[in-house]
Amino acid sequence: MIRPRENGRDKESEGVAMPATHSGSTDTIGLGTRRALVIVPAYNEAETIHRVMRDLRRHAPWADVVVINDGSKDATSFRARQAGAKVLDLPVNLGIGGAVQTGFRYAYEQGYDLAFQFDGDGQHRARRLAELARPILEGHTDLVIGSRFLRPRGMTAYGMRLVGIKILARAITVIGKQPITDPTSGFRAAGRRAIQLFAHEYPQDYPEPESLVLVWRQGLNVREVPAAMRRRRGGVSSIRLWNGVHYMAKVLLAIVMDTLKGRVQIQEEVVR
Amino acid sequence: MTWTQRIVLLLGGLTLLGVTLELIRKRRLREEYAVLWICTGLMILAFVVMPGALFSVAEWLSLHYTVLMMLVCFIFLAAIVLHYSVVISRHSDRERDLTQELAMLKDELAKLKEEAREPPPPPVEPRPRPPALRT
Repeated sequence: MIRPRENGRDKESEGVAMPATHSGSTDTIGLGTRRALVIVPAYNEAETIHRVMRDLRRHAPWADVVVINDGSKDATSFRARQAGAKVLDLPVNLGIGGAVQTGFRYAYEQGYDLAFQFDGDGQHRARRLAELARPILEGHTDLVIGSRFLRPRGMTAYGMRLVGIKILARAITVIGKQPITDPTSGFRAAGRRAIQLFAHEYPQDYPEPESLVLVWRQGLNVREVPAAMRRRRGGVSSIRLWNGVHYMAKVLLAIVMDTLKGRVQIQEEVVR
Repeated sequence: MTWTQRIVLLLGGLTLLGVTLELIRKRRLREEYAVLWICTGLMILAFVVMPGALFSVAEWLSLHYTVLMMLVCFIFLAAIVLHYSVVISRHSDRERDLTQELAMLKDELAKLKEEAREPPPPPVEPRPRPPALRT
């Protein structure tokens, strides 16, 4: 049984100041009795993980954090624990899809009502998590995507990358019959229904755009909110083969195949 | 069928059978998959012994051209490869599930060890466990 904020009162290591966190006093976003989890997939992010943890501690003390160490070859796991995170170590590398899904399984089994996806490389801002959470807390959205493009500020993609994302956004918009500007964004919030879905079924190859198709297929509601991001501080993008066309073709193919897949049957959850 | 053809077929069939049996003996091939290859090997040997049978089958399927024979072989092999793709996909799904489950169990175990060392924490309110994931 996980108690909320059990990580909060951890040792202050490496001179990283941790603001004291106590249940109740930190609920600045109206969680009430609901519990929030930040899922941080990390692969060889030892350099940046403590900064990410500090950012989360300071700006989102109302959420628990779980770092999914995806079989890193460096000290990611150690550094994350040092910074006070709960860490799940995957014994073999599963890739971004498998790592994030581990977080959703954990969120599902531990009964979290709200789960965020937050990169371990420092490009996402913990300050923006509250804005991501709002549509879900208001109760009419299952999945919220933090978009870099919804407002012309803080754009962090350039050149071929931007072109690729634009094309993909157009394709996804057609499939979902709903305007989506940033389908590759890994800055997301999921409500309980989406957590349950992702714990059962989560795309492995290009999880961000593909999960949108999955979510629509299951009849869940998606919403985008603007979210500025930083340029990445370290690590390598999970999108490695970024020679535009090749990547685009593969993602588009994956998405088209996703539209062929049937609905996932999920056992009805006992109302808590 | 010329003698050369028969000798080549004989060697091919025996090699296939030999390799299959050796793999089973070394426990590197599960019997369920081995059955397929043993049957294939035996069929080749049967055609070496009774070449007439091969031509009867060809006649029956109206395979008058070598190209058509090749096509039949190709379809046979393609079906096997497709089957293996399905098997591989299933295995990678299981491997992922097991890896994720293992990571969570390791965490659970570490926590239990921690609790065993420390005095028991104050009781926590029980939270109903959600239905198990299908695997």
